[in-house]
Formats: sequence, C-alpha cells, structure tokens
Amino acid sequence: MYEAVYAHPDGESTASRAAVAAGRYDYDGVVVRALDASPDYDRLREALDVDLVDAVEIDASNPERASGAVGNYRPQRELLILRGGTNALNRFAVEQPRVDVLSRPMEGNGNFNHVLAKAARDNGVRVEFDFGPVLRSDGGTRVQAISALRKLRELVEYYDAPYVVSATPSSHLQLRSPRELAGLGEVIGFDREQVLDGLREWGRLAARNRERMSESFIAPGVKRGRYEEDD
Amino acid sequence: MKHLPKHLRPRRRYLAVEIETWPDADLARGPFQRELWYAAQNLYGDAGSADADLTVLGFDYADGIAETIVRARRGHVEDARAALACIDAVGGDPVGVRVRGVSGTVRACSERYLHGRAGISEERTVVFENESRTAVVRDSLLDVGGSDGFTGATQLDFE
Repeated sequence: MYEAVYAHPDGESTASRAAVAAGRYDYDGVVVRALDASPDYDRLREALDVDLVDAVEIDASNPERASGAVGNYRPQRELLILRGGTNALNRFAVEQPRVDVLSRPMEGNGNFNHVLAKAARDNGVRVEFDFGPVLRSDGGTRVQAISALRKLRELVEYYDAPYVVSATPSSHLQLRSPRELAGLGEVIGFDREQVLDGLREWGRLAARNRERMSESFIAPGVKRGRYEEDD
Repeated sequence: MKHLPKHLRPRRRYLAVEIETWPDADLARGPFQRELWYAAQNLYGDAGSADADLTVLGFDYADGIAETIVRARRGHVEDARAALACIDAVGGDPVGVRVRGVSGTVRACSERYLHGRAGISEERTVVFENESRTAVVRDSLLDVGGSDGFTGATQLDFE
C-alpha cells in the first residue's frame, strides 16, 4: 500500500522523513506529490527499504495552463496528479488519458457528476478520495467534506470509475496507517476493502507507469525482448 | 458498590498507541483524553462514543514520543481506531497517532507493544537550506528548528 505525501518545501517533512514514517505506518512506499520538491530519488530508494515514486502534482488555475504542464511533465515523471477543485479543471482532468489521478475534486468550488464519472472511467483517470479534511478539520467544513465524499463515492461506485484514497499528509505527523484509514472509512460510509484498495491503487499505478517508461516497452501488450514461452 | 460477577463485566480491548510530535511540544494524559473524547463525539456522536467507552489509561511521554494505552469495548476497536486517527493535534501541538497493536489485557498490551522506544535525543547544529539551524536528533531522525516551526528530516538529507 502506498500513500501520496507532500514533501519539503511543499510540506513540513522531507521526502526521506515521510518515507521512513510511512514504513513504520505499514506502507510499502510513498508517492511524492511534488510541486517544488525535488529529492534525489535514486539515492533515497537505495538507502531506504521504502519505495519512493517520482510524481508531480499540477496545481494550475485553469485548463489551458494545466494542459501545458501535463504535456511538459508527462514524459519526465512516473506519476502525474492534477489538482482539481474547479468544475473546469475537474472536467479537463477526467478527459485527459495522460492524467493519472484527479486530486481533490470536491475542494473549493469543485463538483462532480455522472458525466465526469463516465469520462473518468473511459479515460482511466483515478479519482481521489481525499480523507484530509475528515482527519484534520471540524465543524461545518468537516460535515461538508464528508457529504462531498459520499456524493463522490456514490458516483464512482455506480459508474465503476477507478479511484485512489489518500490522507493528503503534508508532514510525517499527518500520516495515518491503512487500518486507521479503513476504520475511519467505515464510519463515513466506505467499505473497508474499498479504502485499502484505494491505497493499493497508487502502487499499481506506479508499477504500470514504470513499466511503460522502461526501455523495452513499445505499446500496451507489445514489448521488445524474447518471445514469451508457451506452456 | 459491589463489583459485577465476572460473566457480567463488559469485555474490553486495549490499544497500544504511539503519539509522535515535534520536540518542543508537551503532551500529557489529560489533554489527550479530552481530544480523544472530542474526536469520538464529533465522529460518531454521544451514543456511539458512550458505546465505545474510550478511556486513556497509562501515558508515558519523553523526547517527542508518547506511549499510551487506550481502552475500548470489545467490538468497537475499529471505531476506536477511527477516532484516534482523527486526532490531529493535542492542545495545539500537531501529533501523529499510530496504533501499535491491540490486546485483551492491559498487561499483555504493555508487555507486547510498549517500552520499545527510540533512543535518547540530543541537540545538534546542522546546515539546512544553506542556513545554520538547531536540530533535535533521535536515531537517524532530525527535527530541524526554524522561524516558522520544525521541519522533519532524516540523516540522509545531510549527506
């Protein structure tokens, strides 16, 4: 299971500290949602027994800017996350097969509907369930965040759209272990397995993209190398 | 009052909980218990938190890490985990909360999961972002002080 974290200077802990903490919290690795962070991934992967995924989070003000950033970062990074939060950005993200994850779709003025859910399914864009506000806010904001999660979940379930789960931690103290998140998910209406599966999805995405970026990959189902042995 | 016969006593589970925080924070049992009650009440209401019956038993704090035992009624362990996860600060100090394990007795809980604490911490001066800063070092983990709070780092960031 993987968690997607913000690392210094985007968050309060460096990528290595987040990775060490994630290891203690029973994660196999972390996805570093870098806005400005640029840790030395090769060195950290070698020194730690926790995997680090070189990801970028695009925080653009409008689809035009986002589009430029997507084209720019896609070939460089292992995982591409686009932060939603407005209807235009949510729409843009789910219609781009090049985007891996639509992050925080319900934040701010953002909303989600059946059209977006279908587009997300058809384009394989993972919709993120952001548990951050449920974990770290209270009162009215939290109630709104929980009801937004419910709406998003019902749409994602109905249209069978792919999804990921994250607590969006910006320091190692904001990490929570998979079992805790599953327990919390159950209270707010998720299925236990659903939450854990959302955490595993980060790992599956990273593995898929790494395979695609490897030298031997040509197209899905086609790769350079020896013939496969038939049994 | 005479205590209940054994078969009528409520069955309980004990969660070994580790609480991590920045080195300048000061944690104690009272504030943590209050945060836990608030978290439970906000998450599943008065009825649910009465059912879960979350009580903080021991509390041992030193060097930015606290170890404690939280009691919950049997069958409400997942609820207890959820409420614990929702504690993001104790008395204004941000905390990280992790359940190390669950046992059926206090004794088994503390023997099996507690007192496995990290080494002693010390202060050191480090260069971070081209500035000289004081850091609190525990094993290979560093909490680097700064004007706007601490930054978590590890030894790897200084090699």
